[in-house]
Parts: sequence; structure tokens; C-alpha cells
Amino acid sequence: MSNVLVIGEIDGTDIKNISQQVAAVASGMGEVTGLVIGSGISEAGMKLAAGKIIMADDESLENYDPVKYASIASYIVKENNIQTVLLGATSMGKDLGPRLAAELNCGYIGDCLEASSEGFVRPNFAGKVLARSTPKEAVVATIRNNAYPAGEAWSGSVENYSGNIANSTLNTTEIENIGSGTVELTEASIVVSGGRGLENAENYDSMIRPLAESMGAAAGASRAIVDAGWVSHSHQVGQTGKTVAPELYLAIGISGAIQHLGGMSGSKYIAAINKDPDAPIFKVADYGIVGDLFEILPILKTKF
Amino acid sequence: MTPFHDYFGISWYIYLLIWSFIAVGAHVYQVGFIVKLIRLGKDDDRFNSWKQRMKEFLTDWLGQRKVVEDKVAGYAHALIFWGFLMLVSDVIDLGTGGLFAEFLGMIFLDNIWNLIVDIGYLMAGVGILAALYRRLIIRPEKLKGTSMEGVLILFAIFGIVITAFIVEAGYMLGEGAHYNNWEPIGVLFAKQMQNIDSATLQTIVDISYWAHMILIGGFLIEIPQTKHSHLIGTIPNVMFQDHDEMGTMTPMQVDENDIAVKTDDLDFEKLTLGVNKFEDFTWRQLSDGWACTACARCQDVCPAYNSGKTLNPMQIIMDVKNYGKEHGNLLLAGEAPDETIVDRFTPDAIWACTTCYACVSACPVHIEHVPKLTDTRRHLVMEASVFPEELQNLFNNLERNSNPWGIGAHKRADWAEGLDIKIGEPAEYLFYVGCAGSFDERNKNVSRATAKLLKKAGVDFSILGEMEMCNGDPARRAGNEFLFQMMAEMNVDSMNSLGTLKVITACPHCFHTIGKEYEKYGGKYEVYHHSQVLNELRQKEKLKIKNFEDKVTFHDPCYLGRIGGETEAPREAIGGDLIEMERSREKSFCCGGGGAQIWMEEDADKRVNEIRAKEAVNTGADCVAVGCPFCMTMMSDGLKTLGEEQKTVKDISEIMLENLEV
Amino acid sequence: MNIAVLIKMVPDTESKLEVNDGKLSDQNFKYMVNPYDEFAVEQAVQFKEAEGGKVTLLTLFSEDNSIDTDLRKMLAIGADEIIALRQNEYKGDKPLANAKILSDAIKELDVDLILCGIQGIDYYQAATGTMVAQMLDIPNISGVTKLEYNNGTLKAKRQIEGGLQTIETSTPALITCQKDMNKVRFPALKDIMMSKRKPFTNKTVESVESNDIKTSESSLPPARDGGEIIEGETAEEKVNKLIEKLKMEAKVI
Repeated sequence: MSNVLVIGEIDGTDIKNISQQVAAVASGMGEVTGLVIGSGISEAGMKLAAGKIIMADDESLENYDPVKYASIASYIVKENNIQTVLLGATSMGKDLGPRLAAELNCGYIGDCLEASSEGFVRPNFAGKVLARSTPKEAVVATIRNNAYPAGEAWSGSVENYSGNIANSTLNTTEIENIGSGTVELTEASIVVSGGRGLENAENYDSMIRPLAESMGAAAGASRAIVDAGWVSHSHQVGQTGKTVAPELYLAIGISGAIQHLGGMSGSKYIAAINKDPDAPIFKVADYGIVGDLFEILPILKTKF
Repeated sequence: MTPFHDYFGISWYIYLLIWSFIAVGAHVYQVGFIVKLIRLGKDDDRFNSWKQRMKEFLTDWLGQRKVVEDKVAGYAHALIFWGFLMLVSDVIDLGTGGLFAEFLGMIFLDNIWNLIVDIGYLMAGVGILAALYRRLIIRPEKLKGTSMEGVLILFAIFGIVITAFIVEAGYMLGEGAHYNNWEPIGVLFAKQMQNIDSATLQTIVDISYWAHMILIGGFLIEIPQTKHSHLIGTIPNVMFQDHDEMGTMTPMQVDENDIAVKTDDLDFEKLTLGVNKFEDFTWRQLSDGWACTACARCQDVCPAYNSGKTLNPMQIIMDVKNYGKEHGNLLLAGEAPDETIVDRFTPDAIWACTTCYACVSACPVHIEHVPKLTDTRRHLVMEASVFPEELQNLFNNLERNSNPWGIGAHKRADWAEGLDIKIGEPAEYLFYVGCAGSFDERNKNVSRATAKLLKKAGVDFSILGEMEMCNGDPARRAGNEFLFQMMAEMNVDSMNSLGTLKVITACPHCFHTIGKEYEKYGGKYEVYHHSQVLNELRQKEKLKIKNFEDKVTFHDPCYLGRIGGETEAPREAIGGDLIEMERSREKSFCCGGGGAQIWMEEDADKRVNEIRAKEAVNTGADCVAVGCPFCMTMMSDGLKTLGEEQKTVKDISEIMLENLEV
Repeated sequence: MNIAVLIKMVPDTESKLEVNDGKLSDQNFKYMVNPYDEFAVEQAVQFKEAEGGKVTLLTLFSEDNSIDTDLRKMLAIGADEIIALRQNEYKGDKPLANAKILSDAIKELDVDLILCGIQGIDYYQAATGTMVAQMLDIPNISGVTKLEYNNGTLKAKRQIEGGLQTIETSTPALITCQKDMNKVRFPALKDIMMSKRKPFTNKTVESVESNDIKTSESSLPPARDGGEIIEGETAEEKVNKLIEKLKMEAKVI
């Protein structure tokens, strides 16, 4: 059994769900040490699903700072003879992971779909190729959200971090909250798009937007409904709109003219719902449902 | 009784001499200014094929061939025009106090001359009345809101006609005078005037004479300033009309044999890319400005204008002239005005053109609107790098994957899978599939239908497969000439390496570009639209095809019909009774997709395709037949927007395949 | 302000992806400048236009492929020179080794700011930039969507979950650029031609030993031939099947 370090992230008074997922993965790989860094984190940090938790709690650590955080993590790795460091593939994890790997001079595997003592699988080429690796050496890895179920909080031993904190010129001046509902169309890993089949603007607002929100997806639209004024042009996917390449593109009531396909054909998976079995969208879709979207969407919504 | 006597003790010809000096002087000065402006333009050697040019001049200018296509205004204009040509020498006679007629009398031509002049005045008079009737009583939509200039001028030249008759009549009255029957209208006037006492008559004649001379002089001064500059401007315009095939654009740089200089050898130090300054135009492009009569026929047929966009082709031509006039002194001094040509045209107008050439085709005096817009696009793309954002996508996609959508180039021949088609092998025909036919699901079906029919008829053909690229039309019409040329050079290499001589394509843009524009890049092929080849196979009964039974209308693609000159083959290939739309064949209305428009965002309330789809719906046809992948997309979209999804849009080849007798 | 921009040459997104014996075949790849790096170049040029200084482009790539045309476009939009490190055994999925070579090369330049794209569109590790910062012992800010520079202070906005984090720092620093940071200009043809006169240096570099993790096996996701229409008696059944497929087969939700 090797020693695994999980670097947890907190969200207010709670540990982030993704950190619990990572902790659950780690528990299958060896002896788990948890590390939570921040300011005033004791309550949330305790919840990390690890037998031993180290808290680096300091005012200067309130906001993520790669220089300081990496110095702390690398100190702990060395102190605790850690072989594997696991983080969530979050904005912090994806930044801290590689910096830490460089500091430790060890390999890095980012954004894993699978992680276990058997090895790691990560996507290349926007998921069009899967790469498996089975490292024998020390490694830092980040794990994608929702790849695994979350671990349960439990109370293990808690230790305070006693090492140094590196100096950094970085200074966070503001955290702007723009709400979790808004996902940038071009960056989203899931896009839910609606087309003329929705019949009117109200249906877009009452069916597409809520579904997108609950799936953590961005809401897109075909040119036809942007033209019709149902949604703003910033939602338009296609040749003369935005080009998207998400993991999943869910086309609802979109027939799939080439001008639309030009903006989304790079998606890894395409699923389509349309009442017309001859709609060209089914030619490019991996999964299709032929049927009435007004019947299907309400059911789909209950699944997320 | 003549007006040729002393006035206030000074001889009449002194007055006339002074007035002539002023009028002719002002005229010549102004025309000289315009000529100097036009000569600022770049060279364009059109001083060749004189025989053809003379013939065209005689039919188009003298014969008013295209003018009379508009029945009312056209024939009114022709009457005035021919009338004035016949009467113009009368000015010399009236100016010399009758010496000209005397001279003609010595060679016994005076009578016939008198008759000609009289008829000329009559024709002009009739024409003017017809034109006034049109302007004041009929009042066509496009004339509403225009200035009164046209009406005033008509009254003025009507004055010239009437006063001439009065002076003429004066000759026939008074002591020792007699009616000259060679001037029948003059006689009519004389008979009306014979009872007037001689003093009053003399006053009437004198006033008429001077009114006549003042009007003519005034007209001379006015001509260069207004749209009447067309009286002179049309001469070079018609004489030096474009002899290249319609719609062919010019390379960035050509060698002495008129072949495009290879992209690798272009001399960018000396190259002006496109047009932004007045003097970037060729002299012939500039002369268009002074040839325009503001007849608005271009405006009537322009899809951009008719769909409510900023572009008005007539305004573009007016802009050239007005820009020259307003900044003339600066331009002639070799300085650059703050305002550029692009500013004057406005980018919105420049980017609205579909390059359908309806304007050029409608113009009676051979004005070339479209190249002015594509030339300014060249400037915007290659020099200024300011253009609609969507085009950057288009250019990158063409560059990287040689198709407008950026779909992997390796998927180009996927449509042909299972059809047993030769790929990259020499054959009698090369089937140039084009991007839409290769990548767009809907148009792949057209490629398959065409290939199946060709195979069925035993035609030996192959496709280029992954070697094929976009022909470059979207890049070229969007102003990225450099990208176009790179693509053209590569395509020509591929086609020549296969020994290609004959090409079939289902895309009119490939048809046009490869057939008519590749020659300057080293590729000379016989290029056929698939409807031409398929129709021939049908006529020779190599394909037995039943007549299409649905009610069908055919939408002529611009680059096949008007620009390509082929309107019959598609109709015969479809067979059956076609219902024609109001605008068809050479006068077909664009679908809105050409000129790279399909790659740009079009305002939802200003869609060209909806106008055309409505015209198709109005025929009552169940099926709209098309012969172009862009038309396929635009017409399908248009019908959908109109809620007419039940009407089908089908390519010629698809209709033929459906009706193939087994 | 002197700026270095790190550029990765990546296979075109539409490249045909083939896997033979567990290895990804790179034979038919056509390479282009990583789109995220273009944002970095554009940002660097904007800083240069405002502050003066020099923009040096640094790339590491194999010796076999020609990359001039695409790279020169970056000169055309305003960068000053290119240093192309060419390596026989170059692999795009060795961030540690590549960062080592790049950071050694940067040490020889006199730069205040290093910019690069957040990630390459080939392996999406988002690692090299951050690693370079660590190796140079300078701070990094990643995933930046807006960057300003005033009197020696950089102000960056980076995307975090549910919001934006604004961070300030003095230089030197390394910034990785996210999409939408700016709109990359399209070079005018004259600029493309003039870019041929800007310095373009090719330097051969040796490969280095590294602890990068080797991919033991590449595979393509399960083949999807023409897609599958999900059948079912009821809408409920169809939806359930779809969710099942998306979860188990596609693994995208």
C-alpha cells in the first residue's frame, strides 16, 4: 500500500463534493492523508473523507495562491513519504497539480476519467482518444468531477500544518460571484441546445434553460430561434455563431442543417431529440430519440 | 422672318458669340475636370477588338438595345435620344444665321436635312411628353422621393423643341416667305401663327430664338454637373465595356500574357490590394460614375436592396462620382481626402452584396457595380483586416481543411462510399464534387444522385477524393484573393496531374470559378454543370427518364443562369411542365447565398431567401427544383421560415433519379 | 516590457485520429498553432503596442514537420521574433521534460512576462505553463480571461467555479490564457509578407530525461457507426436508456 495525499477544497463551511470523490478514489489506492489549505477552514476541512487530515489554516491562505499552496503541499509530500497526490480537476486542482508535480519533479496526469491502483485513464484530443497509464513512480493526478461517487465524511485525526509558507507576490483583490448557473458556452463540457421544435420562446426558457442548469451545462440555440428572437445571439451555435466542442452536445428540436453542424460537429458525443426521424441531426448523433420533445424533456429533467 | 438682326444697336451674333463662349467654355472646362479625374484611375487596357466594340457601340449606344427593355421609359428615352441626334446639327444652323442650310443647299442636301431635323424635333417632343407622363402621371414607385431635377430638365428640353418649331415657322412667314414642305411640323406651326401681326410675330420669333439658344447653352453648362453627364459618359462606357466573361474577377497581378503571377512571385512592394482610394479604381471603373443615368434598374433587381439592407448599387455608382466631385481638387493635387472610398460606400453596404450580377446585367450602359464592391472587400480583408467576424472562421477553415465548415479534409470522399467510384484516377470526366456535395448531408445526396446517373449512363468519370479542395469562390468573393489564389493553384496542380480536360460539377460556383477563372492560374478545362451533361444523356436516351409529374418550379442559380449563360439544360433535364416564377432565367432573383453571404450573419428581418421562397410559393408548385447547393440550403430555409415545409426542395439530379425508368 | 510567449504546435482539431496497437498514429497530422496560444500572442502584442518592448515567441517541436507558415502568422500579427527549439524525439505529452527545456531557454532571454495558452488542444493537460513558472521560480496565474498591466502591476481575472478571481502581482510572472481573453486579429496580407523578414531561429535541442508518465495504451472510444436511435415503448423508457448510455458508454454525465 502506498501513501496517498488528497488535497481537499472547501466551499464555505462544507468540503467540496469533488474532494470527497477524490478521497473515495484515494482510499482504494492506499493510506490516505488529507490536506486542506485555507483560512478558517477547521469546520469544513474536518469533513474530508480521510483518516488523517492536515490543516494549513492561515489568514494568508484565504485565497488560492499556487506559490504558497504548492510549497505547503510539497513539504507535506516529503514529510509523509507520499507516492500519489490526488486533487479534483477544478480551477485550483488543474493549476496546483502541475506546479506541485514540477516542484516534486514527478509525473503529472490531469483530468482523469478513471483513477485506481490499476492505473489512470485520461482523455486526449477533447476525449476523442483515451490514454491509459500505469505509473510505478510518484505521481500527481487530478480527477474529473463526477467520475466517482463521493466518500462519506468521517472524523479522523487532525493535525495542524507546521511547515513554512513560501512568499508570494500574488494578491487576490476580489472574488466575483457570477453564480453557478452560468456556464460559458464555448467552455462548457455539456451543451444543451434548443431549436425550432420548441415552438416558442417560453418553452426555451421553461425547458432548455432549467435542464441546462441542472445538468451543469451551457444553453445553446440554433440560428432559427435566435432569428426568431427567442434567445440572444450569444447563445447561437453554428457557422455564424459560436463553435463549441463539449463532451456532450444535446440537440433538442434541432434539425441539424450544415450551418449548425459546422459549429458543433467537434463535440465528443452528440445526442438528439427530434420528432422527425429523417432530420439530418440523426446522421451525426451518437444517440437519438425520435419523439415528442414536450413529452421527453419533462422526464429527462427529473433525472438531474 | 428671322431673329438674325441687331438688338439695341449691336448685331445678334455678338450676343450669341459671348453666350457661346460662356456656355461652351463652362462645358469644356467641366468636362476637362472630369476627364482629369477619370484619368487618375489605374490602367485597364480595353483598346482592342475594335470591330466588336464598334458593333456593340452601334447596337447598345446608338441602337439603345438595353435601354428599351423598359418599355415606357426606354422608348421615351430612345425617341428623345434619336431625336436629338437628328436635330443636333440645327444648332449650327441657328448659330450661323442659316449659313449651314445655305451650304447644304449648294450640294442639294438642304431639303432632306430639313426633313430629318424636323422629324428629330418631333421624335424628341413625343419622347419628352411620354417621359413627363411617366414622371407626373404614372409615377413609378422608384421615382417617388427623387428630386424634381428630371422633370425640370424635361420641361427645359421641351422648351428647346417648341422654340425651334416657332423659329422654323418664323422663316416661313412674312414678306416673300413660303411654306417649306420639307419641314412639315414647321408648316403646322406657321399655319397657326400666320394671322399674328408682323411686329408681334417678330417679337415671338426673337424671344423663341433666344430662349432656344439660352436653353441649349444652359444645358451644355448643366450636363457635366448632373446625371446628364451620361450624355457624354456613356460613350466610353459602352464603347469600352467589359469583354471578360461576366463575373470573372481579376488577379492581383498579371504578367504580360495576362496570366496571374504565382503567389510566390508576387511583388508586394508594388502591389495595391483592392480599392480604398479613388485612384485605386481603374479609369473605366471611375467613368461608370459619369455614365450613370440614375435609372434605378440596378436598384430594382438588387437582392440586398430589396431585402432592406444598406446596399443600393445605384448609390455605389453615384458615390464614385460624388466623391470625385467633392474631393476633386484635393485628388488632382495628389492629396488624400480624409474620407476614403470605403467610408463613402460604408462597410455594411460593401458586405451586403451577393455578387449575383443582376445589377450589371440590368444596366443599359454597362456599368460594373459588383467589382467595385469586391475590390473594396479585397482592401478590407487583405490590407485593413477589418471584416465581419464570421469570415475569419471561413478563412481559417478553408486554409486548414480546405472547406468552409472546417470539417476534416479526410472525410471529403465519405459520401462516395459503396458507390464504386474511381478516386484520383484519370478518366474522361472529372466529377468536381465541391464542399457542400462532399460534407453537407443534404447535398451529399445530390452528389450520390449525380454519380448514380452518370454510372447508369456509362459515363467514365472519377473524383479527386481527398485531393479536392474548395474551388476558392467563397474566399475570392469575400475579398481574400490571396487565399483564393493559393487554393486555385493547388487545385490546378491536382487537376492537371490527373490530365483533366473535362469537368462535371453540381455546383454553379465551381462551374464558374473552375470554368472561367482558373484559366489565368494555368487550368483550362471544359466545365459542365451536371444538368448539362445529364440533359444530354437524357436527350440521347442514355438515361430514360419519365416526365416529372409534381408541380415544379425551377430556381435559376445566378452563377448558372445569368452569369453562366445556361438556362435551358436544367429545364430540359427535369422535363415535364415547369411553372415559371415571375423572375426566371437570366432575370432570376438570387437566393441570397452567393458572394460568401452564406458564411455571414444576415439580419433576420432582411433575408433575401425569404423573398425568393415567397416567389416560389406563389407559383403554387409543390417542389422547388434547384441546381446549386447554396440555393438548396437557402431555399429550404426560406420555405421553413415561411411555414411551407411541406414543399420540397430538390436538385435536378435527384428529380431525374426518382423518375428513372428501370 | 519584454514578453515571451510559449507556443505549442498541435495537430489540427479535425485531424484523423487512428490508433494502431495501442499507439496513437501521428502520421497524417497537420500541425497548427495551438489556438489558446494565439490568445497569448495577441495579448503580448497588445501590451507591446501600449508599453513598448519586444515579443519573443518560443516553441518546442520535432525536427520533422514544417511549421513555418503557421508560426509566421504569429509574427504577422505583431510578434517580433521566433525561437523554434527543434528536438528529434519531441512528444507533446511530456510536460515535465518540455517545461524543463522551455524554462532553460527562457532563462537566456530577458523577459518580464511569460504568456501561454492554458492548455494544448492535443493532450489538454494544462500543465506545461504552470510547470515552467515553477521551474523559473516565478508565480503563475492560470485560466486568465482578462489581463491588464499598469505601472509594473499585472491584474488578472481568472475563471474559478461559479465566479472570477481577481489577482494582482508584480512581474515577472507567467500567465496562462483562457479563451475569450481577447479577439485574435487577422493579419493583413502585407503583414504576412513582411513577417518573412522577421527573425526566425531554429535551434536543435537535446531531449532530457524526465519523470513524465508514459501512456501505456491509447484507445478510441467505442466506435459509433452512424449513431443509434434509442427505441422504447414509452418516453420514460427511452429517456432511461439514453441516460444509461450517456453514463455507461459515453461516460459524459
